[in-house]
Amino acid sequence: MAQIDAYKAAASPHEASGADTRRIMLDVLIALLPCIVCGTVFFGLYSLMLVAVCTAVCFLSEQLFNLARKKPLTFDLSALVTGVILGLNLPPRAPWYIPVIGGVFAIVVVKMLFGGLGKNFANPAATARVFLLLAYSTLMSQYIGADISGNALSADVSTGATYLTGGTAALADSFWGVCGYWGYVLQLFFGAVGGSVGETCKAAVLVGGAYLLARRVIDWRIPAVYLLTAAAMALALWGSASEMLLQLLSGGLLFGAFFMATDYATSPKWRYNRVLYAVGLGVLTMLIRRYGAYPEGTSLAVLVMNLFVPIMDKYLLPVRFGQRTKGGRPYPQVMKWSMRGICALLALALLVAVPLVSYTEVGLYAGTYTYIKGVRRNFGGGYEFTVQGEADLSVPGQYEYFQPLEFVVVLDGAGERVTEIVPVTQSTMGYTAELSYFVGHSYEEIAARTDWSAADTETSATRTNVKLKDMVIECFTAYHYELTDYEALPYAEGNILRAERKDSLYRFTVRGTADLSVQGKYEYYQKLEYAVTIDAETCTVKYIATIRESTMGYSVDRDIFLGKTAEEIAGMSDEQIGADIDTGATVTAVSVRGMIGECFAALAEVNHG
Amino acid sequence: MSLFVSGVHPRGRKERTSKVPITALPAPGKLWVPLSRHIGAPALPVVSAGERVLRGQLIAHADGKVSANVYSPVSGTVGGVVGHILPTGKKGDHILIENDFEGETALLPPLAGRTPESVLARIAEAGIVGMGGAGFPTAAKLDVRGRAEVLVVNGAECEPYITCDERIMLEYADELLQGVRLAMLACGAARAVIGIEKNKPEAISLLSQKCGRGGEISVKALRTRYPQGAEKQLILGCTGRTVPEGGLPVDAGAVVVNVHTALAIYRAVEENMPCFERVITVSGGAVEEPRNLWVANGTPLQALADACGADADCARIVSGGPMMGEAVFSLKVCTASTTSALLFLTEEECSARVSSTCIGCGRCVQACPMGLMPVYIESALLAKNYGEAKRFGAPSCIGCGCCSYVCPAKRYLAQSVKLAKKIIKERGI
Repeated sequence: MAQIDAYKAAASPHEASGADTRRIMLDVLIALLPCIVCGTVFFGLYSLMLVAVCTAVCFLSEQLFNLARKKPLTFDLSALVTGVILGLNLPPRAPWYIPVIGGVFAIVVVKMLFGGLGKNFANPAATARVFLLLAYSTLMSQYIGADISGNALSADVSTGATYLTGGTAALADSFWGVCGYWGYVLQLFFGAVGGSVGETCKAAVLVGGAYLLARRVIDWRIPAVYLLTAAAMALALWGSASEMLLQLLSGGLLFGAFFMATDYATSPKWRYNRVLYAVGLGVLTMLIRRYGAYPEGTSLAVLVMNLFVPIMDKYLLPVRFGQRTKGGRPYPQVMKWSMRGICALLALALLVAVPLVSYTEVGLYAGTYTYIKGVRRNFGGGYEFTVQGEADLSVPGQYEYFQPLEFVVVLDGAGERVTEIVPVTQSTMGYTAELSYFVGHSYEEIAARTDWSAADTETSATRTNVKLKDMVIECFTAYHYELTDYEALPYAEGNILRAERKDSLYRFTVRGTADLSVQGKYEYYQKLEYAVTIDAETCTVKYIATIRESTMGYSVDRDIFLGKTAEEIAGMSDEQIGADIDTGATVTAVSVRGMIGECFAALAEVNHG
Repeated sequence: MSLFVSGVHPRGRKERTSKVPITALPAPGKLWVPLSRHIGAPALPVVSAGERVLRGQLIAHADGKVSANVYSPVSGTVGGVVGHILPTGKKGDHILIENDFEGETALLPPLAGRTPESVLARIAEAGIVGMGGAGFPTAAKLDVRGRAEVLVVNGAECEPYITCDERIMLEYADELLQGVRLAMLACGAARAVIGIEKNKPEAISLLSQKCGRGGEISVKALRTRYPQGAEKQLILGCTGRTVPEGGLPVDAGAVVVNVHTALAIYRAVEENMPCFERVITVSGGAVEEPRNLWVANGTPLQALADACGADADCARIVSGGPMMGEAVFSLKVCTASTTSALLFLTEEECSARVSSTCIGCGRCVQACPMGLMPVYIESALLAKNYGEAKRFGAPSCIGCGCCSYVCPAKRYLAQSVKLAKKIIKERGI
């Protein structure tokens, strides 16, 4: 029997969970690795150097501070975590002294002066970033575009914008062959955009965050509730689900949610306080982004919410097991249920609101349009056309004024009626469009209307109405040209390129030329192409969609042909169809008159054939 | 069913002994039977040196209601009332008995009727104390004068390693259920719930089978989560009732007894056997042959170490479970009715705590099953701000040790909270 004599007494519990401080810090460093790698890939080795310098400075300043205060050196890796996070928060081409100053500030001022690890009241990295932003506003806002091939070794400062500073203009038009909105989303998700070194690649942040959650290093409540609140706030402040997604995927929000808001010392200890803290973060971040002077608000929001943490943990205490009120009743779980309620409400609001404000972007491919700038399909299936134009409000002999107009014209899903018109820009002097002339009316009703006068007979408001009528007609035209399915007819002769049919509507794609030459100066033949839709029942022109005409402004006034029969159009004089007699526009209109004649001829042939 | 939400989940490590049937450990030549290993006043010796005692003979008498009779676990000669080391390190009164290995047994007189009063009196007479570990005299606990509606039987055994209750449930199921009925009779509860953690499926199915459906005794399978077997958490898990803060289980209409206690009640009432031995699990990585043993009270721990082959790479010896048990610093310490396990842990199994700075991770707050904030209690204690420690809930601590278990900085949080609780109580803050 072996003698047992080496045993020692110790306090219970005799087992302990595997977690220890260094392992936790190591886990955070591991989780930051994807961000470091992606930052290096997109922004080059210079950016990696920034992170390395920042980390080294943080580590060294902590040890120097320890030496100065005659304390033992600390090797708990927490300084490295601060250094890497701050480094990843810097612009990719910040000068070398930025990480040095930031690192010293973060470690010495924010952390060590307050007692070191676990004692600081504010997140060192977030505070240092805010400090740098205030002290070096210009340097800290100079971003470069993400470029896998071009940035590798270059240290040039070529300015670029982030999504938050430059909007979608800062993004490439297509990414991996995906155009438009989803291209933006993919770009932002994979980090091929301007921004701080580590925060742009959301995929990397999510991988790191998932690792931290799997290792149970961070509490899931903070990132989850932070992002939930931020999403709801973005939806409320921008009123658009697509913008909400772009907001969530841009800037340092995701990085901050996983790596900065979850900092142990500066986040609340009780789970429902954490929820409250995360709600505050989400609200503040989005308010700063929307109304603040700075494009990004994550660091500032973290810093501000850090200040509330001590008071939250001091006065919002967990309800103890079996705790009773003075009256002997079970103590109400106010925080628990209010926080759960807030989260449920936010989630519910998102569930309800996202479909209502989500749009499908619809591309307009074939036609060229005078007024239409974009179309998107809303959740109800309606089409929302953004139209822009100008109304000539000049008073002859007195002044000349062109009022810019912008409206959102909503057609129902079948393209039959205008369901809504939202004025975006129009006269602020009272010459506003009379929307009731349009809303609820069909194409035919609007096209047939002759009296466009508003309250008085001939005012600027009337001219706005007339212009809006043109815009609405173009919306209907675009709908029927681009968004309606026609059945192709086997007919193509002469200038008629294509004939199609839908019920009683016949559509002919017709081409022609207009001689825009100016005698003795230049010779120019403008190629023309239109899609002319004729209603066979009434034998009148219903729509004319422009496919190709002059881009110099010599465009035809299509509206003068609409609703007219072949005879009426043939009988129109040159003066009737041209605004002035001798410009390229008139020449074009004359050509169009002939082309429409060809379409009627084709219709006769198709019907008889 | 409402369950407590916090707690921790240490590795069970019960597999080495959960299939090992209970065997009896032969009593050693000398036994030091402790007089005060239960809660309450120490028992008063009724024998003197040189007197011959039989196995099951009263050797010390309870001093008041919250105290317990002590019986001789062997036949032999009383060596006197001697000071002997207690697990706490202090010396305490023990009755030394020199075993004559005759095994001559004296039983209690048969109990005539089965009324609450007679059963309670027999439980008190047999010297039964809570065998889950606290050692509260069972008769005092069950004497609730009809305020109990439900008897909760603790078969949770949430501490790692320990399997004595599991083996009792498997090997003494009928006796145990009989004991539960007697306990119900004694406390006046109309029904009983046996709470068993789900990591003991055999015990759950066996006892559910024996209880049947719709009977007065039911079995409740509980989530495997430490401290599921803590009194208040167990009552919540088994009945959905919450014991008010600072109150007793009976304030929630419940009385809790351990399965081993229930068995002891059966033996005292039906077999006229007083309480002088118990089942102890001897386990741990430094034990060659882990066992569940019937051990006579007063057996020096060295005898258990010898019987199970504890080897030299033992780094720590723990009496009780690894979460709440006490480290033993001398194998001369003797067993009592409250010793549920003796663990010989290797270096890898027990954590050497080296405290470092609190990093404020809040894990102790998440883990605390009582809803306290250990991190702030500790800092209030260090600042000698006991009022603040009380505000953060120190007096409600049940000492489960979850906070220390999860602490990545390895701080002695459980001890801090315990100290704060003690100071607050002493100073009446």
